[in-house]
Amino acid sequence: MSFWFTVIRQVGRNLRQTWSSQLMTLLTVTLSVLIFSFFYLVYTNMLKWGDRLGDDLSLIVYLEEEPGPELREQLIKKITTFDEVEKISFITRAQAYQRFAEQLGQNQDVLNDLPKDFLPPSIEVIPLKNLRSLNQVKLFSAYLEKLPGTVKVQYGHEWIEKFYYFTKLLSIVMLLSGTLLILTTIFMVAYTIRLTILGRKDELELLKLVGATNNYIRVPFLLEGLLQGILGSTFGIISLYILFNWIKLRFSDPGYLTMFEFSFFPPTVSITIVGISILLCTFGSFSTMQKFLRV
Amino acid sequence: MIEMIKASKVYSEDVEALKDISVSIASGEMFFIIGMSGAGKTTLLKLISSMEAPTSGLIEIAGQPVHLLKGYKLARLRQKIGVAYQDFKLLTDRTAAENIAISMEVSYKKPQIIRKRVKDLLAALDLTDKHNKITGELSRGEQQRVTLARAIANSPAMILVDEPTGNLDAETTEKVIKLLTKCNKSGATVVIATHDDLIYRHTPHRIMELQKGSILSVIRGNGL
Ligand SMILES: Nc1ncnc2c1ncn2[C@@H]1O[C@H](COP(=O)(O)OP(=O)(O)OP(=O)(O)O)[C@@H](O)[C@H]1O
Ligand SMILES: [Mg+2]
Repeated sequence: MSFWFTVIRQVGRNLRQTWSSQLMTLLTVTLSVLIFSFFYLVYTNMLKWGDRLGDDLSLIVYLEEEPGPELREQLIKKITTFDEVEKISFITRAQAYQRFAEQLGQNQDVLNDLPKDFLPPSIEVIPLKNLRSLNQVKLFSAYLEKLPGTVKVQYGHEWIEKFYYFTKLLSIVMLLSGTLLILTTIFMVAYTIRLTILGRKDELELLKLVGATNNYIRVPFLLEGLLQGILGSTFGIISLYILFNWIKLRFSDPGYLTMFEFSFFPPTVSITIVGISILLCTFGSFSTMQKFLRV
Repeated sequence: MIEMIKASKVYSEDVEALKDISVSIASGEMFFIIGMSGAGKTTLLKLISSMEAPTSGLIEIAGQPVHLLKGYKLARLRQKIGVAYQDFKLLTDRTAAENIAISMEVSYKKPQIIRKRVKDLLAALDLTDKHNKITGELSRGEQQRVTLARAIANSPAMILVDEPTGNLDAETTEKVIKLLTKCNKSGATVVIATHDDLIYRHTPHRIMELQKGSILSVIRGNGL
C-alpha cells in the first residue's frame, strides 16, 4: 500500500513538472489513434459494402445477333470452360425492351416511337462468389469479349473498378496511419519520459544512493506511459465516435448514401485499439528507461 | 561488520587516493577517520557505501563483497547504510522534510511513520521551523544538519558521516554528536570522517588517521 502511495505521488510530481510536454504527448497519442481508427473504420465499412456489391456482380455480354439454340449451347460451353459460373441467362431483344420499359416506369411513353428491337440481345453471366477479385473479373471479361458475336462486355456498374482501387488506396493509407500511430506513440512517450528523466537527474541519482530499487524508480515512469496510453487512446476513440455520429447525422437524409449503412466498430475492436495503444506507450517508456536509467 | 582488505583506489595515474587499506570495523562500533584534507577520508567512505569501486582489494559488509553487488541486492544494502555526504546531495528544490523523507520512502515506510520521524529529527537538530523550507534557501550549517537527518532517518544499521560539523558552532556540534551517539547506542555502526578535533578529542572510540592515502595510525581515544 505504501508502495502505491509513493509511486502515485511520484507520478503526480512528474506530471506537474513536465505538464506541457505531457499534454503535447497526450494530444499526439489522441490524434494518432483518431487518425488511424478513422481510416480503419472507413476501410472496414468499405469492405462490408464491397461484399454486398460483389453479391450482385454480373457481367453482361452484348451480342450482335440473337443466338439460336445451337449457338447458345456453344456459348454456354465456352463460358464454362473459363470457370464455373453461378448462372447464365440469355436475354432476347424483346426481354431487354421489356426490362427497359419496366425501369422507365411512368415514362414508358418515350419508347413509343422506337422499334421494339432497338436493344441488343445479351447474355447475363453471374460469376461464382469466389471470383471476387477485380483481376479475375477483368480476365473473365476479356475472355468473354473474345467469344464469337460479342460486341461489348459490361460488368455491373462501371465504378466497381474505382471502388476496388479506392479500397486498395485506403488499405495503404491505413497502413501508413498505422505506422504513424506506432511511431508517434512510442517516440513521443519515450521523448517526454526522457525529458522527465533528464530534468530529475540529480534526484534519480540520489534515489539510487539511498537504496531505491529499480522498481521504485521505474514503476512511476511505466505508469506514466500507461496513463498516456489509456487516456490518449480513449480520447481518440471517443472523438472518433463523436465524429462518426456527426457524419451519420449529416448524411442520414433519405436518398443520400442510404444504400450504405455506416456502422461503428464493435466494442472488441475499440478495446483492442486501446489495448494496443497502451502497449505501445508502455513500450515507449520502457525503452527510454532501458537507455537512460541503467541501474 | 566492515572488513577492508588491502583496498586501494586510484582515480588516475598520479592520483592514488587510497593505498592498501586494511581495517575492520565491528558491528555497533563508533569509528573515527581523521587526516588532513586530501588524505582520502571521503574516498574511504565512498568505497564502503559502494559509490566507488576499489581499484584493488576487497571490501565486505556483513560478509558480502559490496562492489560486486548489483540491482536489488545493492539497493537493499544501501537502504541499511545511511550516508551524510560531504557535499550534502540535497534536492535543493524540495523542502527539508521532503529531503529527509526520501531515505524512508525508498523502503516503503508508512506515511504517518515518516511524518513523525521527520518531525522528531528536525526537533533534535534545532530545525523545527525549517520543516517546510526549500533546502536551497537554507544556510550551509542547516543544510548539513538536514543531510545528517536524512542519513539516520531510516534507522540504518550503518551510518557513514563525512565532515558532519564543518559549518557548525560548538553548541550545534554538540547536538549532532549527541544524536550520532544515540544512534550508536541503539546498535548502529557509526563511521565519522572529520578533521574537527572537537568531536574526537574526548572519545573513547577508535580513531584511524590517514595520511596521503595510507593508514598512519589506529589508536583508541583516551575517553577523558
Ligand atoms: N572523483 C575524483 N577524481 C579524481 N580524483 C579524486 C576524486 N575524488 C577525490 N580525488 C582525489 O583523491 C584524493 C583524496 O580525496 P578525498 O576526497 O578522499 O580527501 P578527503 O580526505 O576527504 O579530503 P577533505 O578533508 O578535504 O574532504 C585527493 O587528492 C583528491 O584530489
Ligand atoms: Mg572529504
